[in-house]
Amino acid sequence: MSTTPPNIDPRAAALFQTDGRLRRRRIVNRLMEALGTIASLAAVAVLVIVVASVVKNGWGAFSVEFFTTSPSLSGFGTAEGGILSSIVGSILLVVIATIFALPIGVLVAIFVSEVAPRKVADVIRLALDVINGLPTIVTGIFIFSVLVLAQGQSAIAGGLALAIIGLPLIARSAQEVLRLVPTSYREAGLALGAPRWRTILGVILPTSLGGILTGTTLAIARVAGETAPLLFTTSLAVTTSVTWDPTQPVQSMPLTIFQYAEQPDPSFHEQAWATGAVLLAFVLVVSLISKFLLARSRRKLTQ
Amino acid sequence: MRVTLQEDLDTLQASLLEEGELVLRALRGALNALREADAELADEVIAFDDEVDRRYLQVEQGIEALLARQTPVAVDLRLVLAMLHTNLHLERMADYCVTIAKLTKLVAGLEPEPRMIQAFEEMGARAEEMIRIALDAFVNRDVDEASSLVELDELIDRANRRVVRQVLELGPDPELSEWGLRMLLVSRCLERIGDHAVDIGEQVAYLVSGEFREFTDASHPVQGS
Amino acid sequence: MTQADTMVNVAPIEIAQRRERPQTPTLRETVFDIRNLSVSYGKTPAIKDVSFEIYRNQVTAIIGPSGCGKSTFIRTLNRMNDLVPSANVEGEVLYHGVDLYGTKVDPVQVRRRIGMVFQKPNPFPKSIYDNVAWGLRVLGMKDKLDDRVKRALEQAALWDDVRHRLKKNALGLSGGQQQRLCIARALAVEPEVLLMDEPASALDPIATARIEDLMHDLKNEYTIVVVTHNMQQAARVADMTAFFGLEVLPDKSRTGILVEYDATQKIFTQPSDKRTEDYVTGRFG
Repeated sequence: MSTTPPNIDPRAAALFQTDGRLRRRRIVNRLMEALGTIASLAAVAVLVIVVASVVKNGWGAFSVEFFTTSPSLSGFGTAEGGILSSIVGSILLVVIATIFALPIGVLVAIFVSEVAPRKVADVIRLALDVINGLPTIVTGIFIFSVLVLAQGQSAIAGGLALAIIGLPLIARSAQEVLRLVPTSYREAGLALGAPRWRTILGVILPTSLGGILTGTTLAIARVAGETAPLLFTTSLAVTTSVTWDPTQPVQSMPLTIFQYAEQPDPSFHEQAWATGAVLLAFVLVVSLISKFLLARSRRKLTQ
Repeated sequence: MRVTLQEDLDTLQASLLEEGELVLRALRGALNALREADAELADEVIAFDDEVDRRYLQVEQGIEALLARQTPVAVDLRLVLAMLHTNLHLERMADYCVTIAKLTKLVAGLEPEPRMIQAFEEMGARAEEMIRIALDAFVNRDVDEASSLVELDELIDRANRRVVRQVLELGPDPELSEWGLRMLLVSRCLERIGDHAVDIGEQVAYLVSGEFREFTDASHPVQGS
Repeated sequence: MTQADTMVNVAPIEIAQRRERPQTPTLRETVFDIRNLSVSYGKTPAIKDVSFEIYRNQVTAIIGPSGCGKSTFIRTLNRMNDLVPSANVEGEVLYHGVDLYGTKVDPVQVRRRIGMVFQKPNPFPKSIYDNVAWGLRVLGMKDKLDDRVKRALEQAALWDDVRHRLKKNALGLSGGQQQRLCIARALAVEPEVLLMDEPASALDPIATARIEDLMHDLKNEYTIVVVTHNMQQAARVADMTAFFGLEVLPDKSRTGILVEYDATQKIFTQPSDKRTEDYVTGRFG
């Protein structure tokens, strides 16, 4: 190894000479970084503020009874008990919505991405987008006119309305995952002499399961907090006790918030905030679960 | 791995060795015919050459196919080239056996000189030995065994030179002279067979080392020996 | 010859053990009889007027420059071209006398008898065992499942590698192993024919050599058709070789045609057609 300094070729040095532009670029870079950071902080700050205010305002109402007993009225007109009936009711509604939306959503996704000719698939996709954009109150009125007028309110009616809202979400994400499955799997299955549907059922679907679950959990997170569709379909519920009967209207957390907020007594307001906090927590947990599921399915597909 | 290549190489080598066995039989037949002055046996030796030619062609075609299909490299390539050359040497040796047989037929009516016949028997035995050693060295990839052929070849060369003197000593008798002249050619055939055996030995050395080299070079004689 | 009686027996030299190779049967049974096959994708011609026969228990290689329709051709043999809506097939592909494109023929049944292995190894994202067993389960060959899976993996020279980790995910195998798993998967359902579309082009030389040895072993039981862009590979493994070339049509479009079809030895030592010779010598294409 030589110890003499290397001969610097002047032409090479000239190539990399810095000019004023480098300094300006550096400034612009830093500026952009700063702006991006501020915007991100602002976004996170909004979330933090919302969560903080909800928790702060509802803090007083948290207790074991809050989660384990149904509402009742005290002699003074203050809120007593908790929101057990709402929690149970929300669970029931979400389950009913999933039972309807998940299979239909997956089947639609399979049809659109595997079977349908191009033009038909485009039309269906458009329809799904429109359903996605429907105002939820309109959906509620629709179910009201179709089901509630004849049969009265019920959890099923509410669940159906929620299912309509969740369907495009599930179908869209299922489609995305199905598209991600390599064509080579389909070819391999077919080349073995397996009929098309066996290949879809046995290879394509299991592979996309993770993504489908993700889409489902996202849809659940969305519909759990919908209020408008429930207004006409399951708002006249008995709130003081828990019902698992789907043919009857049930209480739900978003409706509880709505109704309690209109009460005169501040104890109800406090419970409304607390219910909001519970909903937020639910959304947070569900989002985390869906991220975990997505990461796992991605790992399996791309190993 | 490369199962087909290995099978092809094994088959070719086996064919080559079979050809060598045929050459030995031809040589033995030619020598016996010469010793017994048996013209019928000589005819059979001449006809037998077709067998050798058939084998020769088989090996040639096998090598062509192997080169085209298996694209051998390194030691496999050297083996194929060594087999190609050895094939040629074997075929030439067989041709010399045919020549000896033809000469035997030509001297059928003439009176042989028993001492020279005896000498040919020894030269012939030496040539047989050299062929066996050459093929053995090939199979075993034994360079030392191959280089031992040089000394044996020297013995045949000396014997060949002695035959020249003996022919000159035969005297003026025309029948004897004719016989002697033909026998000179026989001697030369045996000497050439020995040379081809040495060539096969050189192929063994090439196969093992990758070097093209003659064991001894007429223009660069080895000292001593 | 009577030489053995009159010539004194010479002590024979030890001849190296010659391994008996199964003779290529001179009586060749035809598996595929391709007659005037032409395929186009919409208006674009892919191959034109191809006719030749593929024989049983032989490896038949399809070689030629890129774009000459080799892949299109092999996919017509098991109706995989059906997957492309614009594909248009004319002519006949007779499999043991039955036209695969006849009106009464079920393509699913075709693909049971004629299996395929693809260029890029594509095992399912399941366990090694389930990869092989899936086809068996779907086709109702569920009896003695373990034995069938084992046999398929043995045939693909993969059993020893994976016998202790059958439940592990197949995607954890190396490329060469994955390809052999795909071969096992295809063989498990007991096809008669195995089509291989450039099976080794995504693999390293050692894995490639393994696949080539495998083809050599498998042809005793199956009929193998292999597409390869590596003509040395065709020279090594194939008994018969078909050379597809490119023909320029009057409207300037190019289509693939069969130039020459013969024993591999002939193609690589003395091809009849100059175009073949130009291709195999590397002077063109």
